[in-house]
Amino acid sequence: MKLERLEMPLDELHDKLARTLTKNSNKRLGLFTSIDGGQLVTLLLDPKDGTAELLISPLELERNKYRSLTPHLAQFHWFERALFDFFGIVPDGHPRFKHLLLHEEYEADFFPLRKIALPENFENVLPRRYEFLEVKGEGVYELPVGPIHAGVIEPGHFRFSCFGETIVNLEIRLGWVHRGVEKRLTEVPWQKAHFVAEAAASDTACANAFAHAIAIESILGVTVSERAQYLRSIALELERLAMHIIDVGGIGTDIGLLGISSAMGRLRGKALGLADLISGSRFLRGFISPGGVRPVSERNLSEIKAGVISLRKDLAPVIQILSENQMATERMKDIGKLSRSLAHEFGMVGILARACGIEYDSRLSFKQGKFPELAPSIVTELGGDILARTRVRIGEIATTLDTIEKLVDGCPHGEEKMVLPEKLPANATGLGIVEAFRGELIHLIFTDEAGNISRYSIKDPSFQNWTAISIAIRENLIADFPLCNKSMALSYSGNDL
Amino acid sequence: MLKLISYLLQQGIATNKNICPDLADGVRGLPMITDVPCSTGCTACVDVCPTDAISVFKIEESGHIKLDLGLCISCGYCVDACPTGTIANNPSTRVAVSRREDLVLTTSSQPSENQKLAASALVAAPDSLEKAHWFKRSVAARVVSTGCSACDMELGAAGNPIFDMERFGVHIVASPRFADALIVTGPISKGMQEALKSCYGAMASPRIVIALGTCAISGGVHRGGYASANGIEDLLPVNVYIPGCPPHPWSIIHGILVAMGKERLAPRPVARLDTVRIEK
Repeated sequence: MKLERLEMPLDELHDKLARTLTKNSNKRLGLFTSIDGGQLVTLLLDPKDGTAELLISPLELERNKYRSLTPHLAQFHWFERALFDFFGIVPDGHPRFKHLLLHEEYEADFFPLRKIALPENFENVLPRRYEFLEVKGEGVYELPVGPIHAGVIEPGHFRFSCFGETIVNLEIRLGWVHRGVEKRLTEVPWQKAHFVAEAAASDTACANAFAHAIAIESILGVTVSERAQYLRSIALELERLAMHIIDVGGIGTDIGLLGISSAMGRLRGKALGLADLISGSRFLRGFISPGGVRPVSERNLSEIKAGVISLRKDLAPVIQILSENQMATERMKDIGKLSRSLAHEFGMVGILARACGIEYDSRLSFKQGKFPELAPSIVTELGGDILARTRVRIGEIATTLDTIEKLVDGCPHGEEKMVLPEKLPANATGLGIVEAFRGELIHLIFTDEAGNISRYSIKDPSFQNWTAISIAIRENLIADFPLCNKSMALSYSGNDL
Repeated sequence: MLKLISYLLQQGIATNKNICPDLADGVRGLPMITDVPCSTGCTACVDVCPTDAISVFKIEESGHIKLDLGLCISCGYCVDACPTGTIANNPSTRVAVSRREDLVLTTSSQPSENQKLAASALVAAPDSLEKAHWFKRSVAARVVSTGCSACDMELGAAGNPIFDMERFGVHIVASPRFADALIVTGPISKGMQEALKSCYGAMASPRIVIALGTCAISGGVHRGGYASANGIEDLLPVNVYIPGCPPHPWSIIHGILVAMGKERLAPRPVARLDTVRIEK
């Protein structure tokens, strides 16, 4: 993909973004970060043309701060907090300026990704201590949940402010599983980095490895074989299939239709069996790497096709029972509603954006394996509620099954893996965008003068989407939260990195 | 609702009666060491290993390797790279152990070498497998996830109708107050260390700890970073280790059976040194 790199002075950045990220614009914000602490990096995407633009805005080193973008462009709110966590760059005037990912255990002036020295007069304005937004008023109480949850899921803290049974405000505090993935990716030899990239969020292992491979290959300027591109797309769709099945099953669990969830759990096992066939791993670990994929036999490919056909048959009755169940439909309707305008304003992606009518699926915009050529059409709904999200997911299960079949049919013979050069070129930038099952996943890589990776930035789809839960659950009942949370099915580890 | 019940009845019993079977052909498990001698001076496996789980050493001019499954993320690259077949794919799902040093495999059978391994391997001796008889009939387990969710999903899968771990008396519970076992997944970076310790502290004795997955054992690919994501070793005493990234649901069930002292339901295959000879 073509990535245009532009120098953009800081005072022009505000105007440029205000002009670009408007309601009717085709462009969207990809990610916002820094390379070593001396500049701001803004990635703008144009899904319509399939192009991307990278704005580099140098910072005045003595000041180490800039005027916050959040007051006018809400979608920057977490990006700017993460920017301070990692680089110590202060967004002046951020309306809710606090730490995002690094907790009290870290020292006050610890900025793990900053490479240039802090200015001498730097005064850390933000204590490590975390303060939740307090809702005041008679009868309002707080309900803290987490970081350890009741079920078998990743950790996160939810602070509900409730009035009676109604949620007045939900503040989400994440960062509990911050493992330093971005830093680690700059420390390991790049040939082994795909293992770390996969571990960013292992339920999205395939998409992460895929985005990593695209980014590395775009730096090297190579294109992998036609067969590898087909196999990568098949793997990506198998991951989507397995996760969508279990996420629909999870809706069954939280409604109380345990028969649906146990049936879906069993059928997900079949989808994972197909992943086993293509990669030897149920989570597609180690399958995609820069340069290609692991070898796959023709026999396994035809078994995958047979598996897809039988899975389509097995899924139909379960999905039909769930869709026709009136209790389930009423439980999901008009609960956890997200409006299209807020979803747009916060730059939301993936299922929950498509469930409120935003037609964005990066498979149709940016080159990833055999997409956009063989990408399925977008599934959208208008409701914005739990029902709409479940319907989008069910619709995507169907399109994904069709797509896998089409891909297996078209998969040519040939080499699976190409030999890559030993070294990456110096001062290069690589970008990989993949539509993971949760939405748009971005890997952005910068190399230094020696050709080593100096900065590796990952933007998981959940990073923008977590705010959606806070918005959607407002004015809903506390008992609706688990179902609403499940319908979004966001990643903690992908967000925390 | 009637439609759902009738559908479920039509499906019959999905549960696998064969406990902890071997993995199917072509599916990657953990690596194992065969009795084929290693070629001297070869470092093919060390070069490709992403987590430095393998080291080579020499005894009297012959090459040997040491492979720590506690660091292994089962990528299978060493199996592909090994020219002699000394390292091979282990199709067994019965991989859980109760001592950390049992995860370290080596081609050397010299006692001196093994002692060194045992000494380097670790800390916190499990006070405990005698405790196992407490939980022989049932065990209530609290899961604390601190990682990337693959292990959690496989643990969830172990409870689905195919694997059905509840038939062995395993229950996942929502509070440490009524848990017998603490199952830990993920590398336990700084953010979760305090929460994990409090959770352990809230459990009544006798209690056991199961480290699920390579990250929980050693930190896996995250080991040594600034977030101190180095696994459980310096935090809590561990009774059972289940290696893998993520471990197969059968391996998870095997680990829990080991913790319950019901290993005889699925015994570990004998011997690591004299297993299979691979023709290459």
